[in-house]
Amino acid sequence: MKDLFNEQVENLAASHFLVLYWAAQAEDRKTRYNITNLFDDLKAAAITRTKQSAVAVIESLAALRFVTVKGEGNRRNLYITPYGARALERLVLLNRFQSRKSVFLEGTRP
Amino acid sequence: MTIGIGGAGGKLALKLDPSATIVNVSENEMAKLPAERRILAVVHAAQGQLRGSRKNPQIGRQAFQSIREELLSLCRGNLVFSSTGGGTGNGISSRVLEEIAKLEDVALADRTMFAFVLPYAKLEAAEYVVNTTQFLQGPVSEAIDSGTTGNVVFFSNRVKFEQKLGEDEYNSMLLSTLKNFLAVPRKNDELKLLDGHIDYEDFALFRGKPYFNHFTAFEYDRRSNFEHQLEKNLNPLLLPPENPIEALFLLEVPEDGDPREFYDILEYFAELKVTPVYSVVQNPKRKKMFVTVALLYLRKPTELVEDFNRISEEHTKAKVRKSLEQYVQLPKLEVNLESEVKRAGRQQGSSESDILVILRRLGKL
Repeated sequence: MKDLFNEQVENLAASHFLVLYWAAQAEDRKTRYNITNLFDDLKAAAITRTKQSAVAVIESLAALRFVTVKGEGNRRNLYITPYGARALERLVLLNRFQSRKSVFLEGTRP
Repeated sequence: MTIGIGGAGGKLALKLDPSATIVNVSENEMAKLPAERRILAVVHAAQGQLRGSRKNPQIGRQAFQSIREELLSLCRGNLVFSSTGGGTGNGISSRVLEEIAKLEDVALADRTMFAFVLPYAKLEAAEYVVNTTQFLQGPVSEAIDSGTTGNVVFFSNRVKFEQKLGEDEYNSMLLSTLKNFLAVPRKNDELKLLDGHIDYEDFALFRGKPYFNHFTAFEYDRRSNFEHQLEKNLNPLLLPPENPIEALFLLEVPEDGDPREFYDILEYFAELKVTPVYSVVQNPKRKKMFVTVALLYLRKPTELVEDFNRISEEHTKAKVRKSLEQYVQLPKLEVNLESEVKRAGRQQGSSESDILVILRRLGKL
């Protein structure tokens, strides 16, 4: 299982990393981070220009049980799971991707 | 009289003068030499008097105290041989030079001439080189500065090692050049004098000057420049000289030779602003003109020891390298990539590593 987990993590892309990263940051700040916020941040980071791509990233992470998507009111908010936390830890330790600032969380453009 | 200090000094002194006095800290070493007069310097050591100074000049220095008065009075006006690398010669000679440097004034007749044998730094023990450097920078420099010593002659072991000569053969070569220099007043006295003169008093005056002495001798050909001939015939057994401060020469002319030919030599020295003492004699045994020249020069000790210092440094580096290779095993460094990344992250204070702290705080990790 550990091998499977490692393989799953190693196949993640920069966009997946950023979703996990921003979701964790938002939770730390007791802020709700939803799909629209993520789409704006990915656009600002010049990673994607379509909402469908952002949704696809979230769905794949949700399928791997790395994030949970909860419908709260009329928003679908993202929460990192313990598996997602371990995946993020591994990506950080491997130093595979460089983090970026979330426009939503930081309030400024990167 | 001649005095030989230490093993090498004793051998040279006895070879030059069978009635020489030898000084040593080891009875064993002294027993090997057929000297009439021996002075044993006492070392307060548990091993007794059978061991030498083991390349340690401090032992020679301590032993000097036991023979101080006797040795200093013997050295007065005489020639002292010693090597500079070992413990006995270096240590005792250092103390003799220091004592002489303390004197207010020494009459010319009482000044001591020193002949030191320097090691060949490239091939001889590193301790010899270090001892020599300290000897030249310390006691020799002090004695020359004080002006109370006589000539100091530096023989170098370079030729011995480069030409792979036996010790006895090399000592004979070395002494034959010295004997030729010391024979100047005798030749002046015994041979027919043609011009100038260097009698025993003049020679003693020259020997009593506190400078380094470089002497050489060669067949002089008037048709070629004296300067070139001198440069070509510098004594290979001595350290090369600097510009001379004073000079002496003896020109031996064959029976049919022209005694006026010494003027060219005088002109060479006049250009260097040196007025030499000289003597021109007729030597019927010579087929060609033969000149013996002695140059008195002064070199700053730092320049003198520069080469020794450089080589000593190389020795030390090589020694350190060898001991590292022999005794130090470098442990195999196993790098844990994760911990290294964490460490690097901590150092950089990056947000990536911060996120792990956050995740722990949130209880997700």
